[in-house]
Amino acid sequence: MSRDHPPRLTAFRVTLVVFALAAIFSLPALRGSGRSLDHGANLARFLDRFWPPDFSVLPQIFPALLETFQMAVLATTFSAAVSLVIAVAAAENISPRPIVLTARFALNVIRSIPSLIWALLAVAAFGANSLAGVIGLSIYSVGYLGKFFSDAFESAETGVAEALRATGADAIQGFQYGIWPHARPLVWSQTLWMLEYNVRSAAIVGYVGAGGIGTWLHTYQEYYQWDKFAAVLVCILAVVLVLDFAGSRIRRQFAQ
Amino acid sequence: MAEPLQIEVRSLMLSRGGRVLVEDLTLQIPRGQLLVIVGPSGVGKTSLLACLAGLLAAERGSVTYDGRHDASAFRSRLGLVFQHLMLTPNASARTNVLCGRLGQLPWWRTLAGFSQADKARAAEMLAEFELADYAKILVRRLSGGERQRVAIARALIAMPEVVLADEPVSHLDTRLARAVLARLQRETRERGCTVICVLHHEDLAAEFADAVLTLKKDEPAAWTFAEKSS
Repeated sequence: MSRDHPPRLTAFRVTLVVFALAAIFSLPALRGSGRSLDHGANLARFLDRFWPPDFSVLPQIFPALLETFQMAVLATTFSAAVSLVIAVAAAENISPRPIVLTARFALNVIRSIPSLIWALLAVAAFGANSLAGVIGLSIYSVGYLGKFFSDAFESAETGVAEALRATGADAIQGFQYGIWPHARPLVWSQTLWMLEYNVRSAAIVGYVGAGGIGTWLHTYQEYYQWDKFAAVLVCILAVVLVLDFAGSRIRRQFAQ
Repeated sequence: MAEPLQIEVRSLMLSRGGRVLVEDLTLQIPRGQLLVIVGPSGVGKTSLLACLAGLLAAERGSVTYDGRHDASAFRSRLGLVFQHLMLTPNASARTNVLCGRLGQLPWWRTLAGFSQADKARAAEMLAEFELADYAKILVRRLSGGERQRVAIARALIAMPEVVLADEPVSHLDTRLARAVLARLQRETRERGCTVICVLHHEDLAAEFADAVLTLKKDEPAAWTFAEKSS
């Protein structure tokens, strides 16, 4: 009796080889300036300017920090609402093929443009303020949440929705009671992740004038006030850590 | 209840993977009775039931509902118990039971949940199947037998005219299996509902069925349909 051997050319092995070749091909990207520099000493000198952080700026940056958080919350809320609709259109197990392809193409286009560019476009349209930041982040987040949500819908067992439809439920009811309960914990979890991500992004979009704490980062950088810059970074880190801790605890609850 | 839906099978042929499962079956499903389909595994019981539910197209022949061919017009009058239950694991037992009402309510009435009357009815159903304490428990936390009873309650909550149940007692012990079949039998006696049920236990079939359709593997000609004389 012949034994069946596992195939030698698995998708995993092929991917691994392709990835290794791509890494070798990409090595030229590691080239430096070509000058002989004391990199360690340069870095140490630069970082030395960050220490100690100047927390005297706290009263000044606290409102901006709050604004950053507000921008992130609003952008996440708006994007989650829009993404739910687009994700239904992009889910293969829910929508017809032409709609799926159109929705996925739109999500790909949105995702391929960085949040900073979306913020820049929003600043051009709405002026240098936090509204531009919210709009820029919202558009960018739709690209990600739309993809995440549609994946969550596609991971649901469609047989349940079909079973409900077999006894007269319509498409909306089939989705609400057959697919949504499965996708719901994933959707909440991904929305929370997006909120954390948007807090970090909201801190950056200020660089292009879209409001929030990034405006101060930009200002301190422009005037080489690296100790104040460091204080802002510490504040951002504190907010992100708190959100990360709270987010992971809530996500654990969803998973149960 | 007025006369329940009349299901008629004419010269039905069903096949799966090139193998003929059902060939030239003609049958008038007796109304208001409990018809049990028995036979060995793989003989085509589930396919036949799916075809009766309008979920599987016939290769030849037809299934009619009150003389009409389109099953979709009658879906809300059917109660289905699937072999693999097809419950929503991340929803509570009560919500799953309430899902049996979806076919009778428009989407905008169920968008924010179900009415108090429906919830009370679902609680009654769960109590009937000895699941009163599990109403708010997620279905994925229930045992196989508990899930099976939730699926039966879901099929019955809307008081359907026809119940199609695929092995509805396969995960239940003898006491519960008898209780469930007695409950299905009550549907036929008290409401005139037609129940078509696939069973593996011939003793249970003999005890509860009003009529038995016996399928034999690779011998469609040897199938028998026997009505119990009352």
